[in-house]
Amino acid sequence: MDEDQSEETTFVVDEITTIIKETVETTIGNNSYQHEKINQWMSSIAELSLSQLTKLGKPFKYIVTCIILQKNGAGLHTASSCFWDNTTDGSCTVRWENKTIYCIVSVFGLAI
Amino acid sequence: MSDLAKEKARLLKKRGSLSSLGSHEVRAIGKTKDSISTLSYMEEHGHHDDIQRPTVQMENTYRITPSRRFPVLTVKDLLKDVLTSYLQEEKYETELCRQMTKTITEVVKARVKDLMIPRYKIIVVISIGQIKDQNIRMGSRCLWDDNHDNFSSHIFKNNSLFAAATVFGVYFE
Repeated sequence: MDEDQSEETTFVVDEITTIIKETVETTIGNNSYQHEKINQWMSSIAELSLSQLTKLGKPFKYIVTCIILQKNGAGLHTASSCFWDNTTDGSCTVRWENKTIYCIVSVFGLAI
Repeated sequence: MSDLAKEKARLLKKRGSLSSLGSHEVRAIGKTKDSISTLSYMEEHGHHDDIQRPTVQMENTYRITPSRRFPVLTVKDLLKDVLTSYLQEEKYETELCRQMTKTITEVVKARVKDLMIPRYKIIVVISIGQIKDQNIRMGSRCLWDDNHDNFSSHIFKNNSLFAAATVFGVYFE
């Protein structure tokens, strides 16, 4: 009972990773890089991820960041640092790629 | 042994005094000098230790809004300052930028913490990339309280690299 209760109010990384991966797969899938569709893809990934996270019904504020990068050998480094409550808050980052695109999605969950 | 000597010995024993005599002890300044050092400790607890102090019970603040908002412009200036000072002269190198990303993230977080914004949780996200004719899109969506939570961002660019920094300030109710 206690375990179920705590899981209802904690940031479960595996659960959120699955949500993000499914969202990116659904949105981009095997599509090759198309400049005119990037904004649409990015909005869809962020919006869909947020709506799925909301459905979990957990007392969290969420921040979803999304980077879509064209694959052409250019380098990119991204890092985050947080000042929060380690016991309740959490983050999760997924790096997804296909032949022409890198997609990096991060979710930060802050307990209310 | 005289009464005076006995009394002294008794007092020393009770207080647990420990003395050591060192001949020709070398000082930091280089001179040698005979010295005596004494270490003392009390075996008996002071009577004031017995008094139990009541734990301080804080009253509820009944505050549901922040006393001070997230200072968007101040944080933006801070980001501009940090990114410029760290990356102005830099060329893109994989290892350098990997390290620089982590360093700048920590520096920005420390600087924002120094602003002492009460009850705000802070998230700093920094991306540093190579300028190499690639296309990139960055964006974020938030599910939060629009009245109190906010963010600040800044983009830095030179001939070799770009850096995008975002700081989110989320009020803890």
